[in-house]
Amino acid sequence: VAVPHVSLQPPSPLVLCRLTQVRWSRYNPSFLEPEVNKELYRKPWEELSGEEKEKLEVKALQPIKAAPPSVSSSVFSDPMISKFTNMMMKDGNKVLARSLMAQTLEAIKRKQLEKYHKAPEDEKETIECNPYVIFHQALKNCQPIIGLSNITRGGKTYQVPVPLKDNRKRFLAMKWLITECRENKNRRMLMPEKLSQELLQAFNNEGPIIKKKHVLHKLAEANRAYAHFRWW
Amino acid sequence: TLRLIYTTTAVQRKNVGASGPEKYTEAFIKKQIEEFNLGKRHLANMMGEDPETFTQEDIDRAIAYLFPSGLFDKQARPMMKHPTEIFPEQRKIQWGEDGRPFHFLFYTGKQSYYSLMHETYEKMLNVLKYQEQLTAQDLLPQNEKRNLAGSRWLTKIELEEMLLEKLSDDDYSRFVQLLQKLITLPCSDIEENYIKKFSKEVPVQSQKVVVEPLKYDERGVAFSTGEGTRKTARATAVVYDNGTGKITVNEIDVLHYFPVLQDREQLLFPFQFLDRVGKHDMICTVSGGGRSAQAGAIRLASAKALRSFVTEKEVEFMRQAGLLTVDPRVKERKKPGQEGARRKFTWKKR
Repeated sequence: VAVPHVSLQPPSPLVLCRLTQVRWSRYNPSFLEPEVNKELYRKPWEELSGEEKEKLEVKALQPIKAAPPSVSSSVFSDPMISKFTNMMMKDGNKVLARSLMAQTLEAIKRKQLEKYHKAPEDEKETIECNPYVIFHQALKNCQPIIGLSNITRGGKTYQVPVPLKDNRKRFLAMKWLITECRENKNRRMLMPEKLSQELLQAFNNEGPIIKKKHVLHKLAEANRAYAHFRWW
Repeated sequence: TLRLIYTTTAVQRKNVGASGPEKYTEAFIKKQIEEFNLGKRHLANMMGEDPETFTQEDIDRAIAYLFPSGLFDKQARPMMKHPTEIFPEQRKIQWGEDGRPFHFLFYTGKQSYYSLMHETYEKMLNVLKYQEQLTAQDLLPQNEKRNLAGSRWLTKIELEEMLLEKLSDDDYSRFVQLLQKLITLPCSDIEENYIKKFSKEVPVQSQKVVVEPLKYDERGVAFSTGEGTRKTARATAVVYDNGTGKITVNEIDVLHYFPVLQDREQLLFPFQFLDRVGKHDMICTVSGGGRSAQAGAIRLASAKALRSFVTEKEVEFMRQAGLLTVDPRVKERKKPGQEGARRKFTWKKR
């Protein structure tokens, strides 16, 4: 039986109406997502604006889903890193994926520290040593702005340039990074080493993934003539 | 069709009213009602009760006594109910003897839906006109907050039953959007009666969980217990005050029992959220489930135990962070004709 996916309603400021049915969820559709960030709960009552107070009041009456096991309120859990780890995971082996991620971040830190100690005094401040900052900046640099989509008109399929959503950009950047590291490496090189190399290159806006992004942009620019085929 | 695993019987009822023209004529229904009333009086006589004061509950009890059934499904057992409950309400014939339809929107195919949208839009225009009049006289009232928390809109199925017509998901969402727009206008109080027809009261979550008071053991140290479950794992946690942050699971140190970092993070999550990382000791027992399920169960148990140590506001914060909800996700069953719960067998062309 084909089950049509009902799209969520657009968020409205006053009425919390997430009652459109979700496909196959064990939770009742009225359950809300949990908010794990501690800082939001630290704000004293007076500082909250009127809208936020309203939201809190409404939220106090709605049931909330349980927090997933990959999420925690500590400073070490980062949603981007968790997403990337899940994408790297194979056959559900989260332990291995997490250890690879930890080794990658360690490798980045080591390389940056080496550079830091070798650099002359005036350049020391420009070298970034925080692996999380490098990871985020590298992913940001890899994100394409515009993508191509296949649209069939009169029998022929055209590649039409299309603006991408934020989720899609992040997904593409992470996917390219992972496929690049899995395929174009020497037999003996381990994943953390190759990943740290690619991340550092992406951080400096060089390397094969940035090139791939530029190629995609150029293709989109070349197919500018078909841009009017897009109807959304 | 939309399928929900978490459903109520209301959601699963089929909307027979919209499936087509009447299968039962009015005369037939009238006859059924007469027969029902007669039968009710006969039944009352049989049971030796007064026919005038014989209620539906009495009928149900009498039928269950006279026709005992071991069937599992309540709907399959013999029942005697008023015909309006058994034969669902159906649309009458929409056109007269000459074949001309009564409603002006009949040829749209969904006459009740479109007439409803038409009416609602008319109300909205009324409200806007009223608003303009007030702005002309500078008498705009302030935004009075309506109690949005206690009410919800009719579900798609309830709306279908009200209109006796099939709706698509798109139609339903458009209608709800229109209602929401209407409610956000400042002068929508004039049309409150109309809006009330489409909103329902949500029974406010009065499941006020009683937070147990702290208990004291022989040394005078305050402690509290909690229980948690996740998939098949069951855990009980005892959280002691004035501690150093030591955690013991099934008489084994936490570093040995949970070698994976993720599980230990989950154990510390409630303490870290409340900034009480080194202040409590914990002794827990857990059985069943796998590595991650046991960690989740202990997390829930410790969060429940910590409720006794902490103010009401912080308990509310913990609930909003998702620490106090039982995770209902379990392994989905394998279906026949498929290899797993979702994976189908390899498709072979021939």
